[in-house]
Amino acid sequence: MKKTIIELKELTKYYGKTRGIENISLRLSQGEIFGLIGENGAGKSTTIRTIMHLLNKTSGQVLINNKEFVKTDISIKESIGYLPSEICLYCDLTVKQMLNYHASFFKKSTNTRRRKLVKLLKLDETKKIEDLSLGNLKKLGIVLAFMHQPQILILDEPTSGLDPIMQNVFYELIKEEKQKGTTILYSTHILNEVSKICDRVGIIKDGRLIKVETVEDLTKQNLGIVTITSVEIERIIKELKVEVIYKNETTVKFKNNLSHQDLLEKLTTYKIDKILIEDMNLEDMFLHYARRDDNV
Amino acid sequence: MFKREMRINLKSFIIWTSILIILFLIVFLIYPSIINNENIKLIDEMMQLFPKEMLKSFNMDISSIDSAFGWVKTEGFIFILLITGIYSGILGSSILSKEENDKTVEYLSSLPIKRSSIVINKMLVGIIYIFLMIIILGIFNYIGLSLSGNFDKKLYLILSITPLLSSIVIFNLCLYLSTYSHKTNKTLVLSLGLVFISYFLQILSELSNETEVLKYFSIFTLTDIRNIIITGTINPIMIIISLIISVGLGVATVIHYNNKELI
Repeated sequence: MKKTIIELKELTKYYGKTRGIENISLRLSQGEIFGLIGENGAGKSTTIRTIMHLLNKTSGQVLINNKEFVKTDISIKESIGYLPSEICLYCDLTVKQMLNYHASFFKKSTNTRRRKLVKLLKLDETKKIEDLSLGNLKKLGIVLAFMHQPQILILDEPTSGLDPIMQNVFYELIKEEKQKGTTILYSTHILNEVSKICDRVGIIKDGRLIKVETVEDLTKQNLGIVTITSVEIERIIKELKVEVIYKNETTVKFKNNLSHQDLLEKLTTYKIDKILIEDMNLEDMFLHYARRDDNV
Repeated sequence: MFKREMRINLKSFIIWTSILIILFLIVFLIYPSIINNENIKLIDEMMQLFPKEMLKSFNMDISSIDSAFGWVKTEGFIFILLITGIYSGILGSSILSKEENDKTVEYLSSLPIKRSSIVINKMLVGIIYIFLMIIILGIFNYIGLSLSGNFDKKLYLILSITPLLSSIVIFNLCLYLSTYSHKTNKTLVLSLGLVFISYFLQILSELSNETEVLKYFSIFTLTDIRNIIITGTINPIMIIISLIISVGLGVATVIHYNNKELI
């Protein structure tokens, strides 16, 4: 069994009386890439910012290597690479000066890794930060988060602003980090990248973690979308008690949670002109959970 | 971090120190031509027309402006107190809150550095610049006064040090207040207000016995210039009070910043 690197125990954050996140419990093992997905305002950034002590937790614990992560613990901070969703750096510095400044906070040498990352991401070190485009600023943020070779990477929407070529370079970089044993908490709303790189995924909704599954298991579930064209639409809806996505006089589209075998057997009693059964992709799956009632 | 803070605050230090130096340079250049045997009588007669309370509030009742040193002792030090106070207020209110205002605090707090170290580094930079401003100005005025004629060097030395007492307190107070906001402009307005209110309370306190109590609400009371001009010594109680307030505010800043939500 792999070693647990990050553990959240009932992590809760309230902004006064308003709920930010509630009872988030999670374990990330060594070398795991965990995708945190959710709609805007669901609580992804609040979770990350509470872990990073930018926000004060209301209750709960954050354990790193089985040790409570308190904000004064410098050694734990040294083992984390953090990439915020919105990167704000010192505009008066050049990229090179910023990287030097960053390196000055770490005991170990970052030179070799830094050079490799700068080359890989094609970053111009002579440019001033205030002159960088959003994409280049993101690249600089990636170098800053990765250059001290942290044991843990906490990445909040890391690919926003990157062009498709750089996104792929970044995915390769993530895979390389995984092979090295780096544990990665990856917050995003781009579901395609979750299915590409993550081992497990957690769906966060209204500040609560409503589903944690491996990407494989989540997409393997018998959830599908069925579209039927029939003159007996109303009867089908009534008798099968399906969750309708769309319907008109002759066609109905609904969510199916039966096996294909069971579904076809039930449908033999109706007069059906056309039937289309589709598997849900990760995006459909996310929407399915995100829009379901809270008592999932 | 210390080096960077020194570097980014250097520009405003140069600007504010230059303002003071230019002001005193003008005085040293034109004062000898204004004050001469012919018009000194006219100035004295003019001074007689001013209410005693007003002369007292500028320390002109205990000191004459018949020489450059006389002017420095009275109006000159009021300018020094005000400008070093404003500079200290601006520095204190922005040095820490700038990180939140510019949203660089998210990056800064991800670094392996304690929040208390961040505060102490910035506090140290602020205090060094205030010290430097007062030392540079002190040296400049010393040269200016030496070229203008004879003056009481011991009194000048003591007077030159006193702005430190109010400036360090103003800096620490503004630094502490800045931990209650994420926006620099809010704390900046508060700090400037604090300096000017303090200054006016100090003036009002000199006007009559009834208003004397107001001096206890003014930071500038800590400098006690009037007492220094009369006795030629600095009141050690004022040094102790300034130190206690500054250390207290420094500790309170560290504690509050440690518990603050930075976003």
